[in-house]
Amino acid sequence: MTDLPSDEPGPDDALAGELALRVLSPEEERAARAREASDPAFAAEVEVWNEHLAGFVAEIPPVQPSASVWPRVEAGIAPVAANDNRAGFWRMWALGSTGLLAASLVAVALLATRPTPAPIVQTVPTGGVTRVATIAMTDGGTPVVALAYDSATGNLFIAPTDAMDGASAVPHLWLVRPGEAGVQLIGAIDGSAASHHHLTDVLASTAGQAVAVAISMEAPGHTPAADKPDGPVVATGALQSL
Amino acid sequence: MTPMLTRDELAVALGNAGDGDRAAFRIVYEATSAKLLGVCLRILADRQLAEDVLQDTYLTVWRKASTFDPSRASPITWLVTIARNRSIDRLRSAAPMRRTAPVEDAHDLADGAPLASDVIETTDEVNRLNVCLDTLEDRARSVIRTAFLEGVTYDALAIRENVPLGTMKSWIRRGLLRLRSCLES
Repeated sequence: MTDLPSDEPGPDDALAGELALRVLSPEEERAARAREASDPAFAAEVEVWNEHLAGFVAEIPPVQPSASVWPRVEAGIAPVAANDNRAGFWRMWALGSTGLLAASLVAVALLATRPTPAPIVQTVPTGGVTRVATIAMTDGGTPVVALAYDSATGNLFIAPTDAMDGASAVPHLWLVRPGEAGVQLIGAIDGSAASHHHLTDVLASTAGQAVAVAISMEAPGHTPAADKPDGPVVATGALQSL
Repeated sequence: MTPMLTRDELAVALGNAGDGDRAAFRIVYEATSAKLLGVCLRILADRQLAEDVLQDTYLTVWRKASTFDPSRASPITWLVTIARNRSIDRLRSAAPMRRTAPVEDAHDLADGAPLASDVIETTDEVNRLNVCLDTLEDRARSVIRTAFLEGVTYDALAIRENVPLGTMKSWIRRGLLRLRSCLES
């Protein structure tokens, strides 16, 4: 890094372009995405770069998708009963299978009718905890789970504030990655009592950068794909850094 | 059948989709899905995977259409950016080293005459990019193009071109800055 020619660009000069081009390493990209989320001028620069680089697309020949793609897309945007909240990010995940709507409403009813939240403070260790979330029902906003994560050790503490037992479906916890990077399954959680999970490797690093967490209700015995819930998403919460 | 739309017509359809208009969303899909699948397929090289990502892409488009601002982005660029980013995310979440084609293969593909662009793409902007790319050194132009079309990182590019990582970063950063000053002049 010494004796750079005077016209050598600094590491930051082309960062918006590098992010748009997607050449950064995962760590660098995470940092740049965080900056994009917090710095509107930088985000605008990234958008300008997207425009600049889009000319390359002219080289790519179009390929007609199979006839089966549109019906799958259409199923994913179907209205939800009388409550078509299309802005709801997580609602869309829930729509993959409209047959589960009834199960979703049952779960919501069971979750939402529980009274006073149980005290949770003593179940969440404070030492080392770096990220916390309150997971609330997407319908009605009732908090159902408090979550604390220690990114140094991968320890994840989950405390239901409202017991989620009683529903036949099994709550599964998800991480929501920043940007459009999708979701990552952590796994089934105990909806009735505080629990402790230990995350490692990819899951631990995803938890360190995720912007939100969410809970889907899955059929008993069924484990969904790691990047997409099959059951309805009933609760979500922002993952905040301490 | 892919109806041909002008940029303005596509922007209007996307805006209406953002207001929850499913018919308008269908129009957006019909007009752009072949282009977007081309983008996904170029990065993922697997038809099934590319169509899965295409489906995710349009669900994202539906959710985010209300945030599309025609004064800041062209509609096709906005759509392509989502498709490309989702494809790259999928590529990188899968097992590493799926793509082992040397960078020269990409040169061969790219050396052909650019295809006639769709109506929804602004030919002026494509021409401007090509003019400005011609002002770059060959190696910088080549690696920037490969990075865009295949969605590969500095690390992968450095390995492919057999140069130190710092050299690859320098080529691309300098290329990007020169490109920007040309495009914005």
